[in-house]
Amino acid sequence: MARAKKRGMSEVAKKEERLALLMLLPSFFVIVVIAIYPLFTVFRDSLTNKIFASNQPVEFVGLSNYAQLLSVTIKELPPVIDETTGQQAIDDKSGEPVYERAITVLPREPQRFREVSQFSLLGKRYVIGATERDFIRAIVDTLIFTVVSVVLETLLGLIIALVVNSNFRGRGFMRASMLVPWAIITVVSARMWQWMLGPTRTGLVNVVLQIVGIGDGQIAFLRMSEYQLPAIIAVDVWKTTPFMALLLLAGLQLIPNDLYKAAAVDGANKVRQFFAITLPLLRPAIAVALVFRTLDALRVFDVFQVMLSRTRYSMASFAQDQLIQYQNAGISSAASVFIFLLIFVFALLYIRMLGVEAE
Amino acid sequence: MNKGLQYTIGRVLFWLLIILIFVYLVFPFYWALNSSFKTESELQRTPATFVPDNPTLQNYRAVFHNVNFMRGLLNSVIVATCTTLLALVIGSFGAFALGKLRFRGKTLSLYLILAMTMFPSIAVLSGLYAVITKFHVHPILAMILSYMIFTLPFTVWVLTSFFKDLPMEIMRSAQVDGATPFQTFYRILLPLTLPALVTTGLLAFIAAWNEYLFALTFTTIDPSSRTVPVAIALFTGQVSHQEPFGEIMAAAVIVTIPLVILVFIFQQKIVAGLTAGAVKG
Repeated sequence: MARAKKRGMSEVAKKEERLALLMLLPSFFVIVVIAIYPLFTVFRDSLTNKIFASNQPVEFVGLSNYAQLLSVTIKELPPVIDETTGQQAIDDKSGEPVYERAITVLPREPQRFREVSQFSLLGKRYVIGATERDFIRAIVDTLIFTVVSVVLETLLGLIIALVVNSNFRGRGFMRASMLVPWAIITVVSARMWQWMLGPTRTGLVNVVLQIVGIGDGQIAFLRMSEYQLPAIIAVDVWKTTPFMALLLLAGLQLIPNDLYKAAAVDGANKVRQFFAITLPLLRPAIAVALVFRTLDALRVFDVFQVMLSRTRYSMASFAQDQLIQYQNAGISSAASVFIFLLIFVFALLYIRMLGVEAE
Repeated sequence: MNKGLQYTIGRVLFWLLIILIFVYLVFPFYWALNSSFKTESELQRTPATFVPDNPTLQNYRAVFHNVNFMRGLLNSVIVATCTTLLALVIGSFGAFALGKLRFRGKTLSLYLILAMTMFPSIAVLSGLYAVITKFHVHPILAMILSYMIFTLPFTVWVLTSFFKDLPMEIMRSAQVDGATPFQTFYRILLPLTLPALVTTGLLAFIAAWNEYLFALTFTTIDPSSRTVPVAIALFTGQVSHQEPFGEIMAAAVIVTIPLVILVFIFQQKIVAGLTAGAVKG
């Protein structure tokens, strides 16, 4: 049937088709060589115990790398009974009830589970264990990072876009300044913020917080675990909000001005106009920007790697670390495949929203 | 009267908001600039000063004498330039086919390119690393080729939309004059897309200049191939034992100023290119 169709094509059309394929060939060749084929080898390696630069024979291990990365268990922690009172022991210093150490309840065979965190529910104490706790933490941290930073960037980006979209003197200059954080290399902005977030009052943030009356000027943002994620998110929000604002600004400029004029004539105030006109009409642009940023945030690497190096990981920095520090191709590949599949789902969503028009 | 007062308050709040946004966006860079001109002792002073007491060029001098950083600059220029040129040449071929020619499988090709613009480079990291160590590919060459993974699909995608927008009549009249489609492409259409080539080229250059994951990983086998982001991430000073933040900030300023100037010159083009890449097909 294909041949019949081809015979029906004119000589010119056939030539055009041949030229088109010829001109696309270099692009597809490059994509196959640097993306599709390596992706295939990563899938393959993720099913082996491959270690780079070692003599260990490479063996097929099935899904055990994935099991190693993703195994999670929850166990109840039994209370420690005080022998004199017969009641649960209470810690002298903190006044908290004492439970057995997590290591006593977490399984050790066939794989050893390590403690990720503990929580209390309905008067009982539980421990979450994982065979690769750094990766489980990396998944949680990356997801928190993604949700919080994308939401903040969208809100701030919307505010900035609305401001820049209105008429005022110096608007062009303002639009250019918006590109400053965007133009700064991510590694450089991470280094800049690392300096500003310094643990003493040599750091800007500690100085400012102390002036406002928060903290003692000695907050070690990048060393204390409760401040690490907020610090990373602050850097990403600063760096990426302008990009978000630009995407939303493009959407705002598509809304015809007449709509606002008509609404003003009907007596709708600015707030009403925003919720009745701007927000609904901006929804496609917001949705596209949201998914686009989510795709980007899920594979975050630079900020985590520079600011927290090996103390805390994102999913991507975990995979890179396994590769370079331990030359562990199997685990690194499995982590990469996990990230790829996660992003793939979001990418499908994004492509469906954008669509393709061939003609 | 009341209306007038309301208006004035509104205006004042509006300008406060503008100033607040401006400070938020630009102040961190000012802080790097400020720190880069401080002496070692002033950098250690608490609380930090908002303007350097005795501005000094000492940090800049140290950075320009830092062999690793200067080599990083050279490497980055080589890698980013080659990647950009390669992506533009290969990409404009593909974009012409997708934007102006008729052939079967076009929709599929467009979907593939669009999907590739979102491809996470971490997914192929260990695969590329395996190839590079096995065949002893030079890290500079490895970076130039592997950066195609994000520059090429983006270039094709944006240029396709520019080609699509060029009127079909140009092609037809060229064909009537006896030009082959390929001659039409490089004699007539390519010059017309020059502005688009500049924009996409600039964006590809910045993306390559920015890249850290591949650069950090591939240059572990040869530290002399490190690019600017790697050099700045692993920056060590000549003398001080602590992290030499004065010099790091000077290095940050040096690599940022050229980009900020480019951004101010090509502002409108960059915005158009960025939004074309993400918002419309």
